[in-house]
Formats: sequence, C-alpha cells, structure tokens
Amino acid sequence: MSGNNHQYAFFLGCIAPNRYPGIEAAAIRTSKNVGIDLLPLKGASCCPAPGAFGSIDLNIWYAMAARNVVLAEQMGMDITLICNGCYKSIYEVNEKLKHNDELRDGVNEVLKEIDMEFKGSVDVWHLAELYYDPEIVGVKKIADSVKRPLTGAKIAVHYGCHLMKPGKERHFGDTENPMWIEELVAALGAEPVQYRNKMQCCGAGGGVRGYDLAHALDITNEKLINLQEVGADALTEVCPFCQLQYDRGQVEIQDKFGITWGLPVLHYNELLGLAQGMSPDELALDLHAIDVEPFLKKIL
Amino acid sequence: MAVKKDYKDQQLAEKLRDRKYYIPDSNPEFIKDVEKIGQTAAHMCYQCGTCTGSCPSAPRSSYRIRLFMRKAVLGLEEEILTDPDLWLCTTCYSCTDRCPRDLAPTDAIMAMRNLAARRDIVPRNFLQTVQLIYKSGHGVPNNDANRAARKKLGLDEEPETTHKYPEYLPGIRKIIDHYGLKDRADKILAEGE
Repeated sequence: MSGNNHQYAFFLGCIAPNRYPGIEAAAIRTSKNVGIDLLPLKGASCCPAPGAFGSIDLNIWYAMAARNVVLAEQMGMDITLICNGCYKSIYEVNEKLKHNDELRDGVNEVLKEIDMEFKGSVDVWHLAELYYDPEIVGVKKIADSVKRPLTGAKIAVHYGCHLMKPGKERHFGDTENPMWIEELVAALGAEPVQYRNKMQCCGAGGGVRGYDLAHALDITNEKLINLQEVGADALTEVCPFCQLQYDRGQVEIQDKFGITWGLPVLHYNELLGLAQGMSPDELALDLHAIDVEPFLKKIL
Repeated sequence: MAVKKDYKDQQLAEKLRDRKYYIPDSNPEFIKDVEKIGQTAAHMCYQCGTCTGSCPSAPRSSYRIRLFMRKAVLGLEEEILTDPDLWLCTTCYSCTDRCPRDLAPTDAIMAMRNLAARRDIVPRNFLQTVQLIYKSGHGVPNNDANRAARKKLGLDEEPETTHKYPEYLPGIRKIIDHYGLKDRADKILAEGE
C-alpha cells in the first residue's frame, strides 16, 4: 500500500529525463519500494544550470529556480530530486530566498509578472539523502528492498560537488571523506572501494564542459586513473551530469587522448533498480555510452 | 627613540602612506561589486593559496584562483574581465570548503563572471544554454531517440516538465525577458558569427 508513503514533488531536471530516462524510471519504481511516492512537478523547467546560467546573471538564476520551487509550493509538497546540479539551484536558491529578505523581494517582484510568489513554505531534498535518512527510509530499509544482491562487485562512489559543497551551506557533515553513500552501496550487497582524491570534481561543472572540453576531460581522466588503480568494476554517482561526463566523456577521452577505460558508470538509482530486480532493459542501460555488460556479468 | 618605518624612494613612500592610492588602471569600486554580487568578503583574503592548491583546474591550465582574488582586491577590473581563464572554474567549491578565512572564492569568481557578462563578455556555450532554455525550458532538451527510449520504458515520451506542458513556457520567457537576457544572448552570438 502506498497510503502511508512519504510524498514528494519530483523535480526531474534535464539530463535524467532527456538523456538517461532509465534513471527517472528507476527513481520512481525503486522509491516506491522503500516507501516514497514521487509525484510529477508539472511544468518544471531546467533548474536552471547553476554554472551556465548563474555565471551570466545570478539574479535570473534566483528567479528561474524560484519559479520551480513555487510550483511545489502550489502543490504543498517538499521537492526531491536526483541531480547535484539541480540540488545546487533548487536547494540553495530556496534557502537563500528564505533567509534573505532583499533577495526574496527582488525575486518576487519578477515573479509577480507571472502571478507567482515565493513564500518559502517547502524544503528541498536530494533523493539519496532521503534514502540515507532513517526517519524517511534508512540504510536498513534499502537493504531489505534488495532482491538480487550485487555481490562480488567493487563499486566506487563519486559524490560530485554541489550536493555537499560548500559544506557550511549544507548539512552533510564531513565533505573531505564522506562515507554515507558507501553505506548505501554496501546495503545493496556490493563492496564499496576507496580511491585517491574521491571528492575531486568530474570536470564538467561551471560551464567548463561546454567552454573547454579537453580541459574538462583531463580532470575526468585523472579520476579514471585513480579509479582503475583500485580495480573498481563500476562507478556510481547521484548526479546525471557527472554520469554524462564520465560515461560519454570516456568516449570523448578515447577520441581526443587515445585512452581507453571502459568503466561502467551507473546512477545510484540504476544500481538500486538492478538490486531490486529490475532488468537492464527496464533501466535502459543500453543508452549508456560505455557498455555496462561487464559489470552485469559480475552481478547477474 | 622609535624610528618611523619608511621606503627610501620618497615618491613610493608617499603613495604607500596614502591608503586610498590605487594604480592608475585599477578600479577601487570593483572589489565592492564582487563582494556584493558574490556575497563574500573577498578583501579578507590573505593569499595563503589553499584555494589554488585545492583547485582541479589549476594543475592543467594557467587559471589561478588565488591570483583572481588578489587582482580583485587590487581593482584590476580590466585584466580580470578579459582573462579567458575566468571561465575555467568548474565551481566545485573545494576552495570555498577549505578557505581558512571562511570566504567563498567560487562565488567571487561567479560575481566576476556576472560582471564580465554585463560587458557582453561571455563564452558562447553559456549563451547557447540561455537560448535553449528560452525555447524549450530545458538546457538539455528531449530528442527523438530519447523519446523512443522513454516509450520503451513505459514513461511518457515527454517528461512532466515544460516539454509536456508548454503552456508554462510564456512564464519562463517573461522572467528571462524581464532581464533582456534572450535578446542580449542573440545579439552577442550573432556578432560573434
């Protein structure tokens, strides 16, 4: 029964629904299995991209992100989302506007033109933090939902940047060597592995992927070197933009630098889907640029 | 008797005693703008270099966040806003996390980018994102291959966003037009052709 489930307005962003729809499908199904209903946030837009949009004019970034928050306010529901970039825009703008009268008044002046008002009545959560939060789901409930443990797979975690940093504007504790997503990975029966410079950026953010692709890929490549050193079978993350950078990025690294890695990259929700018994087809894993097959062979 | 410390060069000593002295091409207002937009007290930076040491862009380019912080304090507006390195920050916030002065160098960079954009200095990809969002609501819009994949997954071909509900687009365009950003993006991109 979903009557007692926690309900959230599900903010999709761009890259999950429009490039890796398996993440969206997995998020909805896997969350239901652990007691969370994700309801459509109708009419949401791009968060908008904090680097690309915020770099031009932070005021427009505030107003555009606020519009997305107001849609959830109108539903009377907290927002959850599955992308670190979206988290920065939606979470951070929501917090800033709640606590800064001058900013809020400025944004509301603009929103008035489209008959909207930011009230500050909802909160914003990353789905991964809801999974970890024992008040909502908790690691145990995640482990209990597993039907097909990912036994024998060594999985490295890429936390990404905008979920936990800057630490003083977040609530995740240690940002130098966090371990909570590893706990979520271990709950699936896999073995989380540590690697050098775990918290380093994927390279894509701040508009750098579009501005200087080789520069962005060189950062990605450094991470791939460190991942190979520990023999990871797959990399997991909680950000479709990081996923895009690692997944398609490996093809671009092959083209530009002539280096082949072949490391499967899966969003945590895709991993959770596999562990809960979803098939690779139900997760559209064929859309990944890097073949996930070697990893599937290990676990299936 | 205490000896007053001073520089031998009398002219230099004069200048340095004058706390309002700035080199001719510096703008003392610049740091104030950076601090207001970035909401961080950038002038408190004591140049320890923890930021550059934490920066993933530093080892592979000439981008130095510490240098930008110093130049901002010195008001070297022209140098900063025309430097292509300004756009190599991935906004990973490692510097901000580690700054012993509790500053946000990342947000100082964002502020400097905003100030550059006011002078129409913006890389093309940033403006193209604006155009895409204006058109569809998404910076990374749907496409036919993805629609087919969504259908196979049992999802609607269009996600529950502006893609499925384009009636929300006029509101988004109004916000962007309020700032005249779409017209500016079009103009800057056309001039660069």
